[in-house]
This record gives sequence, structure tokens and C-alpha cells, in this order.
Amino acid sequence: MTLTAAPTAHVWTLEGGLTAAFERRKGPGFALDLRVPVGSAHDPVGREGSAGVLEEWLSKGAGGKDARQFQDALDDLGVRRSGGVGPEATRFGVSGLLADLPAALGLLADLLRRPALPPEDLPVLADLARQDLEGLEDSPPDLLAVGARRLAFPRDPASPFAGYAHPASGTPEGLARLSVDGLRAFLGRYGTRGSVVGLVADADPAEMRALLERAFAGWQAGEAGVVPADFRPGLRAHLSHAEAEQTHLSVTAPGVSPRSPGWLAWQVALTALSGGSASRLFHAVREERGLAYHVSASPILLGGQGFLSAYAGSTPGRAPETLEVLLAELARLPQGLTGAEFERARAGLTASVVFGAESLRARASGLTRDLAVFGQVRSVAALRAQLAALTLDGVNTVLAGYRPADHATIVTLGPGEQFA
Amino acid sequence: MTLRRTLPNGLTLLLEPDADAQTVAAGYFVATGARDERPEEMGASHFLEHLMFKGSARLSAAELNERLDELGGQANAFTSDEATVYHAAALPEQGGALLDTLTELLRPALRPGDIEPERGVILEEIAMYAEQPAVRVADELRAAYWGAHPLGYAVLGTPDTVRALTREALERNHRERYGAPQVTLAVVGAFEPEEVLAWAQRELCGWPIGTPPRPSAPAPRPAAPGTLRTLRDEHLTRVQVALALPGLPASHPLREAAAVLAEVIGGENGLLYWALLDTGLADSADFAHLDYQDAGTFEGGFSCDTERAQTVLDAYRAVLATAPAALTDAAVRRAARKLAVSTLLRAETPQGRLFTLGMEFLALGRPLTTAELVDRYARVTPQDVRAVLALCPLTLPTVVALGPVAELA
Repeated sequence: MTLTAAPTAHVWTLEGGLTAAFERRKGPGFALDLRVPVGSAHDPVGREGSAGVLEEWLSKGAGGKDARQFQDALDDLGVRRSGGVGPEATRFGVSGLLADLPAALGLLADLLRRPALPPEDLPVLADLARQDLEGLEDSPPDLLAVGARRLAFPRDPASPFAGYAHPASGTPEGLARLSVDGLRAFLGRYGTRGSVVGLVADADPAEMRALLERAFAGWQAGEAGVVPADFRPGLRAHLSHAEAEQTHLSVTAPGVSPRSPGWLAWQVALTALSGGSASRLFHAVREERGLAYHVSASPILLGGQGFLSAYAGSTPGRAPETLEVLLAELARLPQGLTGAEFERARAGLTASVVFGAESLRARASGLTRDLAVFGQVRSVAALRAQLAALTLDGVNTVLAGYRPADHATIVTLGPGEQFA
Repeated sequence: MTLRRTLPNGLTLLLEPDADAQTVAAGYFVATGARDERPEEMGASHFLEHLMFKGSARLSAAELNERLDELGGQANAFTSDEATVYHAAALPEQGGALLDTLTELLRPALRPGDIEPERGVILEEIAMYAEQPAVRVADELRAAYWGAHPLGYAVLGTPDTVRALTREALERNHRERYGAPQVTLAVVGAFEPEEVLAWAQRELCGWPIGTPPRPSAPAPRPAAPGTLRTLRDEHLTRVQVALALPGLPASHPLREAAAVLAEVIGGENGLLYWALLDTGLADSADFAHLDYQDAGTFEGGFSCDTERAQTVLDAYRAVLATAPAALTDAAVRRAARKLAVSTLLRAETPQGRLFTLGMEFLALGRPLTTAELVDRYARVTPQDVRAVLALCPLTLPTVVALGPVAELA
């Protein structure tokens, strides 16, 4: 196998404590991704929605510019912003032409360190989050995802953090209690501690390091802390939704944690289960029986642990069979993969490692994700070598002890008071 | 530089090698879509797209899917009004297998035993979208705007038309609409063009020419300009509104200026953002320019609280009405730069470049380089955008509203 020549990433601890990863790439553009370890799980109990509303509030002007001037300044550079709030982190991304990197970075630093936080905008932003929550009612799959999270990962009553049981938009009660002072205090969690920045550009590493150092010099330390995910196995619930055209199925089960030795083997198994059109779930549910258009299983990471999350949607009469087939596929994972499945899954993962690092933006967020999840940057070449070293026996040994079906928590949503 | 070749049967090759690329992407761009369907066969193009993945005379569906997965599982397809596209990407060392497998995909067996389960999958897909209010209102808007013309068809068809499509009808649609002159194969990224040309001479010259396609019915004028249709649905929590206005066709020299106008109005920093989102009146609002062979539209919409629907609709209309006055040189310059930069950055991966290359070729009949595309946006002037407004005055939209709302005015 030929290994794609991949550059090695530079990883630095900047003065002030921020961790940075830089990778040099040919091309006219740059991409930067900053991951701050403050997510909706860190919302204070009773103030659910804090992280989400704060992220919006930050964009309402900074560094002496009001909201419009700030947005105009970004547009003058032609840069694109990306990011958003997840359960465990808030991401700020920016990409554009290399010559505009210093100015774009200056604007990002302003947004984080010198935000205007105009008080009159807070009620508007809280109301937008309220509208977003109400919009969930009109989207059964999203409503199911929220319901499944609430059942499978309930809040720890002893924790000051609201945890994983609510969506990033918050709760109506939590949004009603957000205050200017409370959110400004919540911004105190932001800082260098636990934050990571990834940068990809065709530029001199020393210059890039100096540029990042200058932009984030003097940023406060902030607070970093992982909110533990307390998974409740073996539960079952049905959410009645009279108007749903389909019955939606969610299955959550234990997985393998990213820093455990079985992680890559588990990724191969999940690829064989749901990674392509010949994968087990796609074949059994869609190709063979035509039961669903969408069926998938994927890993989710919460609180440093890995979990399996599966979804399917079928018209109500066919949903019981879909669930039965889906669970049967999970139940036969301990019997292991065939040699052909193993080779296909490994080839698929190998290709997706390259594809996932191909675009500047994907690579920049890959750098921060690697630092946050694995504590190191995994190079494409090293990952390919690790995949090449896997064996069918090794993967099947990991799978022999992996019984997701026995511990699955199942939530369904659809017409009727009960799941038929 | 794009290498363009036409095979004796009329099939077009577009090759854009890039020695620095880490992957290779390929796509068949077929110049046919829902617009070419008979009314009773609505959904045939999309049904055919699904059936391509069910195997050829040589490969069963399972074998074909296994080959696609071995390439890395990056294969997919989509159907639009005027195009059907099949694409995949792979590591450079699998470039040969990529072309072979993608080509095998385009030779469907259309086995009856494969058609029935797939019909079930499509009915599930229709049910899935029927639950999404934004999709429902967009489908209703197209039907209201285009009337009975095929541009108003639902690409997926209806449950009734999908149930009624026979193997014979699907086979005829394939024969009539997938002839070599309708087909363009684009390849971008890490590959040797000489090898692909030699492969194409061997493998693609036998592609049937098919019957000449029926000319598309010309795009009509909007069926109901200035009308507002309210679809009351008490089960929904919020109101979705969609509207459409005439725009410019793909071949129009001001097409990029129309896209810049849409960005000035509907972009992240656009007029609608400041009027509707920054104020909290609505939780989403957008506006875009779509182009077809012989027509174009501006399409937009918003979602909001039920009791605010009239206020938001009035505010949206006011933005359109005052757009000419609000159009500053700075706003045009920023929007043009933004579109130029994103066009450039999208081309950085073979998969990103593939779509632009193929879709622009179908729309304009010639390949455009990335530099040319970027330049088309970068040189849009405020005068160009004002010229678009003169041609397309953004008045009398066709409006459709969906939600727990009585009557909007």
C-alpha cells in the first residue's frame, strides 16, 4: 500500500497556556478552528441555554465595533465563519485567503476577548432560542433525539451542571432565567485552559506560532472540566406524536472510549455495521427489505466515553420490523465480522481518513478534535499504518466481548400512545 | 486546465488532472431530470437513480454495493429538475476501480426483484420529507409558481405515481434519457489523463446513443404572480412561508450578478438578516437565486411564530421593495468578494471541484476553469446588480404559507 505523504503537524503550548496545532498545506487559503471546552452540558442547572445564547451574543459586536460593523469587517475579508455549540464545546471557525489570516484572527480574538455583549440584544437572543425549541415540535427526528438524550443521559442531581439531558437551545425555563450578569459570568469559563486551536495554511510555522501567540496573549485561563456522561442502559420509552408520517427509532448503547486500545477495532466494526451501502444495517433494513430510507449507526462521544447511537425511520406499520432487524444486527456483532467485511470496512476507513483530512476546513477541525479527544494529533500516515496493522482476529476479539444489544436504551416516536 | 473530448457516440469527457491532489473524484452528469418526465410518471428520474445502485447484468446489487464500499463508500447520487448525477471518489491507487465501478453503476439491470423493495424505500423517503415543513412548503411553492409545467413537479413524485411506475416505463425512461449524447463523465484529481482516455476508448464507445431526447417544454411565465396561498395545518407549531419571483437563466451574462443580489439580500450579513433575524422576528430567513436552462427564479422564505406571521411577511416584502434603495456599493463589493472566495476554496478538493465542473458544463455547455468562475464573481459591479433589479424587479412574488395560520394578506 502506498502511503499518502502527509505533513507532520506542529503542536505548541503557546505562552499563556493555549494549545495550538498547525499543519502546512499548499493552496491559496487558510482554515482555523478554535475549540473552547464550554458546551451545553456546562449550562448551570436552571439556566439551560447559557452556552448557546452566549455564542450568539458574542457575535453582536466586539473590539469597539457594533454588530453590523463587525460583520462588515468579516465580509470585507471575504472570510467564512463556521462553528456552533455542542454538548461539550463551542467551536469558532474561520476560513479565507491566506493574506487575510492576520486580520481574520484579529477579529476572532476581539470576539472572544473584547465582546460588546449589548444588554438589549439578550432578550432577543433568548427569544430566538425559544423559537428554535418550539421548532423541534415540527421536526419529529429532532424531537426524538432530544427525548432519547433525556432518557439515556439524565442529569446528575448532585452536579451544578445541567449535563446532557437538554438540547443546546436550552429549556423554556432556563432561557427565561438568563440574565446579563449571569451570562457575563458564564463567559468567565472561556479561556486558554482546555481550549485548542487548529490552523492549516501554506505559511512558515514560526510565523504562524507568533501570530497565534500575539492574538491570544493575555487571554484569561478560564475553566475546563468534563461533565461525566451517566448512561442508563436497558430503558424503553415511546413518545406519542400524532402527526408523524413515520415512526422514528433511536437506539443508544455503550461503546468504546477513544483512548482505549479497542477504539480503532470498534471503528472498523461500526463501519461494517453502518459505513456504506454494503454495510449490515443498510443491507438488512434498506436493500433487502425496503423498510426505511434512512438507517444508520454512528459513534458519539460524551464525557470522554464512546457510545453507539442508531437511528431509523419507517412508516408506522413497518417500524416494528425495522426495530427488530436493527436490534438483531446489534445482537450478532459479538459473533464477529467475516474476512470480506473486515477488509471492506478497513478500506473504507482508510479512504475516509484521507478524505477527512483533505479540505483545509476539515483538517483544521480534525486537528482540534484530535487534541481534544485523543490528546495528540494523529497524522494521516500514522492512522493508515495503524489501520493496516489491524487483523480480523484482533477486531473479532474486541467484538466478542461487545454486546450493545444487551444494554440498549430504546426510544421511539410516532403516532399512537404505544409503540405497536 | 480542463481537457475536453467527445467520443464518436456523443459522450463527453472532462478531465482535470491535479498532480498535487490526494484523491480522485469522478462523476457521470446526465442532462436529464424531473423536468423531462410525463405527468403520470412523476418521480421516474429519481426512481431510476435509485435503481442504478441495484446492480447490472454482471453484478448483483450486493456485489455492486460491496465494490462501492471497497472504494471508501464515497459514492452517491442526486436528481434535480434538469440533471441526474452519480459520483464517487477514491484514493489514487484505486482510480481504475473507481471508473470501472461507477461505469458499471450506469448500466442498470432493472431486475423486477430489485424494483419492489426499492419502491418501498422511495415511499419511505417521501414520507420522511412529508414530515419536514420546510420541504412541504417548498414543494407547494414550486407547484404554485410553475403551475402544471414539469418544473413544478415533485422530484420524488407522489406516492401514487411511484406506486404506478412499471418496469417497462422505467426501462423506456432509461433508454430515452440516458443516451451517450446526454452523458458527461468528469474526472478530477490524481490520475493520468492518457490512461483515462485510453480506458474511455475501450469502455465507453459502446454506450448506446439512444433515441434523441424530446425537447423540454419551454419554461412558462409564473402561473400566479402576486398570489398568496395559505395551507392551514393545525398540527404544526410554527409557520413556514416560501416565495418565488422571476430570475435569470443559467446562460444569462448577469447570472453571477443575480447571485450577488441574492447574497446582498439573503446572506449572513444581508438585508433580511438585519430586518428579521437580528430583531428576533423570525428564527430563519433566506433568499437565493436558482437558474435553469431557459428560466431562473429568486426563491426565499422564513419561519416564525404563528402570531407574528403577517408582521414578518410584511417586513420581508418591505425588504424586497426597498432593496434597490438599500443596495450600496460596499454591500455589493462584500457579497461579490465573499462568493469569489468561497468559489475558490470549494475547488480545493477534487470532490468540490467535480460538482462545479460538471454542473456548470451542463448549464453552459462548456467547461469553466476555477479562475474563470472566481473572476465572474469578483468582477460583478453595482451597475450589474442594478441591471438585474431592472430585469427582475422583485415585485409580485408567488407566496405559499404553511402552519396553524388562518389567512395571511
